[in-house]
Amino acid sequence: MDLLYALLSGVAMGVLIQRVRASDPGMIGRNLRLENLSIIKFMALTIAVGMILVYLLSLVTPMHFDIKPTYVVGVLVGGLIFGAGFGIGGYCPGTCVVGFGEGRKDAIWAIIGGIVGALVFTLVYTTLVQPMNKLMDLGKITLADVFHAPAVAVAIVVAVIFFIVIRLLPTETGSARG
Amino acid sequence: MANPAVHAPPVAASAERKLPSWLTLGIIFGVVSAASILLWGPIGVSGTYPRFIAAISRYVVPDYATSNPYLAKMPKFFTTETMLVVGLLIGGFVASRLGKDAKPAMQMVHASEKTPTSRYRDAFIGGFLIILGARIAGGCTSGHIISGITQLSVSGMIFAAGVFAAGIVTAKSLARGGR
Repeated sequence: MDLLYALLSGVAMGVLIQRVRASDPGMIGRNLRLENLSIIKFMALTIAVGMILVYLLSLVTPMHFDIKPTYVVGVLVGGLIFGAGFGIGGYCPGTCVVGFGEGRKDAIWAIIGGIVGALVFTLVYTTLVQPMNKLMDLGKITLADVFHAPAVAVAIVVAVIFFIVIRLLPTETGSARG
Repeated sequence: MANPAVHAPPVAASAERKLPSWLTLGIIFGVVSAASILLWGPIGVSGTYPRFIAAISRYVVPDYATSNPYLAKMPKFFTTETMLVVGLLIGGFVASRLGKDAKPAMQMVHASEKTPTSRYRDAFIGGFLIILGARIAGGCTSGHIISGITQLSVSGMIFAAGVFAAGIVTAKSLARGGR
């Protein structure tokens, strides 16, 4: 049943990603050059709506939470490498799959690059990644742990901050002109 | 929406009346993401790439599949996250066929991309780096940024800071004329 739920979540998300044009690498380029912020605002809104819902639901029903460990060095180094790749290719691991489904010819090259990247990752895992990811490992922590506050309260405060920032940010910044 | 050929942003006056699509789609995505955590677990995509390597290497180089400590942790290929990725593929196909923009034109990302080959090259390099980086960090846009920050995870916030810092610097420095 979990497999079916996951498949259906994927179909829904694939449709939404295609509709909002997050699977269009040109659109990602415009967002990362800060000419258009629609995808960044879309992501922030998704997160803010999701965090209120999951922590309100958690008060009445068990949730399948799964917090990833915060090994500060590895997460940051990985994020910087990821960001460089996101800026060069304009795809993330999910949007290239959506783009391939749409029929984008460059998307398959991002997927092939990803498969090669995964192979290289397994080759350097024991020598480079495992030692690095032991540095500054804070464990599975959330903002609620950091502030010693109820998660639902933290979620509402963070989501409200997100809503305000989304409201204040323009969608078209105008730096695309000229 | 009325004219699918025109993707230009709507003029300010008409934007007042109709909700922008990122707003509606973002709210729906948030509901789907929360439903995932309720029903089966937080979304995550990048782990499927090494799971694919594990599945292939079990046939081609079985010794490597069992001796590599990372691949040895991935005995099953069809997990919930793999099904999510299959869903993304179907969703992209269905949405593009239902919409009027079937067969999307190739979008160049940088000024240096003058030919399709240079776009394929950048897509390949980008794809390589995103999966390498995501696996080092233990998640990608979906696992760390979307579902990670949704769960208030500190790792997701650190990852997002790294991604947008490097992503913005890279994209801006590759922009035309060094603007």
